[in-house]
Amino acid sequence: MIWETVRLSLRSIRRNVLRSFLTLLGIVIGVAAVIAMLTIGSGTTQKVKADIAKLGSNLLVVRAGRPAGPGGPGGLDQAVRPLAEKDLAALVAHLSGARAISPASQKQVRVIFGTESLTSGVTGTDSAYLDARDWKLASGRPFSDSETRSGTGVCLIGETVRQQFFGAGDPEGETIRVNRTSCKIIGLLEPKGYTGFGQDQDNVVLMPLHAYQRRIAGNRDIDNIYIAADDRTPTSELQPRVEDILRDARRVTPDRESDFAIRDMTQIADAMASATTTMTGMLGAVAGVSLLVGGIGIMNIMLVSVTERTREIGIRLAIGAHEKHILIQFLVEATVLSLLGGIIGILIGLSLAGLASVTLTIPFAPSPAVILLAVGFSALIGMVFGFFPALRGARLDPIDALRHE
Amino acid sequence: MAAGAPLITFDKVWKSYGQGEAKVHALAGVDLAIRRGEFVAIMGPSGSGKSTAMNIIGCLDTPTAGTYSFMGVDAGRLDRNRRAMLRNLYVGFVFQGYNLLARTTAAENVELPLIYRGVASRERRDLAMQALAQVGLVGREHHTPAELSGGQQQRVAIARAIVTRPTLLVADEPTGNLDTARTHEIMELLTRLNRELGLTITMVTHEADVAEYAERTIRFLDGHVASDSTKLEVAQP
Repeated sequence: MIWETVRLSLRSIRRNVLRSFLTLLGIVIGVAAVIAMLTIGSGTTQKVKADIAKLGSNLLVVRAGRPAGPGGPGGLDQAVRPLAEKDLAALVAHLSGARAISPASQKQVRVIFGTESLTSGVTGTDSAYLDARDWKLASGRPFSDSETRSGTGVCLIGETVRQQFFGAGDPEGETIRVNRTSCKIIGLLEPKGYTGFGQDQDNVVLMPLHAYQRRIAGNRDIDNIYIAADDRTPTSELQPRVEDILRDARRVTPDRESDFAIRDMTQIADAMASATTTMTGMLGAVAGVSLLVGGIGIMNIMLVSVTERTREIGIRLAIGAHEKHILIQFLVEATVLSLLGGIIGILIGLSLAGLASVTLTIPFAPSPAVILLAVGFSALIGMVFGFFPALRGARLDPIDALRHE
Repeated sequence: MAAGAPLITFDKVWKSYGQGEAKVHALAGVDLAIRRGEFVAIMGPSGSGKSTAMNIIGCLDTPTAGTYSFMGVDAGRLDRNRRAMLRNLYVGFVFQGYNLLARTTAAENVELPLIYRGVASRERRDLAMQALAQVGLVGREHHTPAELSGGQQQRVAIARAIVTRPTLLVADEPTGNLDTARTHEIMELLTRLNRELGLTITMVTHEADVAEYAERTIRFLDGHVASDSTKLEVAQP
């Protein structure tokens, strides 16, 4: 019986191909938009999470200046006191639960090799930096402790720097000029790719902190201290310890705010992921409105269909169809119609998302749950918006219906 | 089947439309009985109440007052769905305009009442073929109404009416759209079904020569039965 009805409705849909197609369009566009939005959205979330993970997960970053908040960072009441080597020493001496603690000062500097030049992010740091940032060497060796201490002119370079100067060749042992000082390349960093904000993480030169301070920055400041938590310690537990130690080391009296900020990369990752999810949800909801419009289109066309086939309904009622038979017939027709629209919409939506994933270089992340939901939802729309017209058909008086022209 | 107990009884049946001053009585206290196996022609001018009477006979409509009993059941008091069941089981309909589903083959049209009876697809097909054979349409099963002549379409409609082996056939001007030769063929067919299957037939017509095929003619006028005459039984050879 149900199969009969489905066949019947498919036939009646085929009979009015153009009309059925135009009716479907609303649902198709709605479902395609929702599917594309949600698929692209979840791809973006994955990408953002992966990017943050590249920055280093379970990572705290300390910098000088008051924490960002109401009033903004670095208020006028207080000159920013930079981080210093004694702060780092205090952390190294007293902080438990950290896997690696490393200072880093950065600057965009022109790097020259032969006749080629490149503006690169130059970082002065120590040998723990690679561990803290979860960064590996593709070849060569990290700085030795004595090189860090004495500030020897050695450096590690990123993939972009190598390609600019050496192509696919081996850069080890070569000497590049960084801001009028020369340094010898002792290792090559593994490629990390771009961040979600379009920043090339491989366009970098790492050198010992003291070399950087002396020859490039011209001061003894530390811009950031990176602290990687060990596996047993959540960053949320580590953060207050870091704060206590630094307040102590920097002699911040209890009545004052800290003159440094600690950023928790895990929190930032979560915040960004949830922002993306919220955004995706909102766009999806907007797209959902077009599903509603599509549903109204289905209702409209089903009302036309019922009126057009009043005589047919009369015949069916006269030869013994019950109200429920007529109701089911039109309900199934509406449902099949919108389900068809839903399936076409899903295919188009996935194609759009696939296209977007190629052009935006985000992962293609179709969710079976979302697809299933779209199928169910479009069927539901057919049922809900088909019900009223179907009921109108079923309630017809057979005598009047047979007289209908 | 010998004519026996009344199949259809009207007991002071009224059918009224409208309210108060504007009230119109389509049927004004009609008494009537039709026995099994009868072939009855119902005649009368338009507005005489014959169509209303036919709708009540076919269980499509219910009386405003009085009792309509069909096969001993008080059909006038049944709800829509029960009357639909009654129609599906015991009544076949033939209309003036054939009323076949367009773009649907003859066989599928004939199968339609069986679908609502829940008959399985294979059995439906067999029964539809039998019914089409009974009306002389073998070989036209897969034609759609548009590919059939008026006479053939009416045969399909008759096949659809008899496929459920009903007790009663209600025919509303079955030859109204047909020429003389086709009219004759259709009436021969109905007469044969009446004789061979013992099918009770009530038929509305306003053509005297069509009414001639029936054994009994009831004339309606202004909501009353004006005359009710039965032909003297002609000895069958």
